[in-house]
Amino acid sequence: MEKNEVLKRVNEVFIDILDNENIVLNNLTTANDIEEWDSLAHIQLVVAIEKNFKIRFTSKEIQSWDNIGEMADCIHGKLT
Amino acid sequence: MSTQLEYIVERISSLNLLHAKKLKNNIRKSDNEYFIRANQFLLKYDALLMAQSKTMDYAIDCYLQMLADVNYESIQFIHSGEYSNKWFVEVNKRVYNNPEVMEYYMHGLLLSQFLWRHHYHILLFFNRIIQENKNNIGSYLEVGGGHGLYISEALEIVGNKAKYDLVDISKSSIDIARKMIENDNVTFILSDIADYNYAEKYDFITMGEVLEHVEDPILLLKKLFTLLNNNGRLFITTPTNAPAIDHIYLFNNADEIREVILAAGFEIESEFCIYSEDIPAELAEKYKVSMMYAGVLRKSQVVKT
Repeated sequence: MEKNEVLKRVNEVFIDILDNENIVLNNLTTANDIEEWDSLAHIQLVVAIEKNFKIRFTSKEIQSWDNIGEMADCIHGKLT
Repeated sequence: MSTQLEYIVERISSLNLLHAKKLKNNIRKSDNEYFIRANQFLLKYDALLMAQSKTMDYAIDCYLQMLADVNYESIQFIHSGEYSNKWFVEVNKRVYNNPEVMEYYMHGLLLSQFLWRHHYHILLFFNRIIQENKNNIGSYLEVGGGHGLYISEALEIVGNKAKYDLVDISKSSIDIARKMIENDNVTFILSDIADYNYAEKYDFITMGEVLEHVEDPILLLKKLFTLLNNNGRLFITTPTNAPAIDHIYLFNNADEIREVILAAGFEIESEFCIYSEDIPAELAEKYKVSMMYAGVLRKSQVVKT
């Protein structure tokens, strides 16, 4: 799967979990850019992404992301 | 906001933006009493850190490491519906007998006492209960009192006329409590509460967040029953749906906690429940957000001995 496709699917998860159809993610998006993205929502987002891509993250991986691009890279790495 | 608290929140903002959002939201809604109490606690804690040649930055790193553990356990919990550990022997090896983990875990928990809204509101409830019972407390026992906050509150309200004992299974926990309390009237006892015996009975027993750490909470409450005066009060707190590296007994809701209390021979005099997130109850239930339960218990009229 191409990284662009990963980002697209992550975007769909964000729209679904945060219930906001206006969300448009890019590699540099952070929690500062999306009001509804807080620590509680983050847990739900990670669970939904794990289910969507049929993967599991480690605690270290989850802590390492500073933006959406790093999260997408991590997912992409697990799929290739 | 107190300088120390302000520094902690700003430092967390630079290291964990998602968590900082929640902290800032909670603190924005806090009253003056919160800032006074948080400041008093943080000054004492800062002194403890300095005595150990450590800094507040170190404590914040510990807190964030503990938080990362909680978040990871929460993700696994949503997938499985269970806590990752079920047996004491597992958490004893993973946490209690692992000095490196205990170190960051204890410091993380200390900071959480004022950074987590449910911890702070439970402390206020405890304050009210001690005020109501202060004239009847000649002897006070605390079980698992690592941060020393509750026993300090009791000392301030009841005073030195009472006898105070603190029993904890962890040496790290006893060491921190000793430094946070600094009162000669408190006896610190390193022991598993199951093995602890005392010739007399206590007027008031406090056991904060211990039930979720044991395999058989009814057995533990029955032990406290034997240590409590017939007219004494037992103050307990325990969370529902609270995955953590050392939690083994899962309470799915407050009713399951009440069932355990009644099964151990107690009745509930009063209680207070608060979710860890400041969101409507229906959302909290949907997302299985942890709820802290606090109960004031007395021996049931039927089974008093």
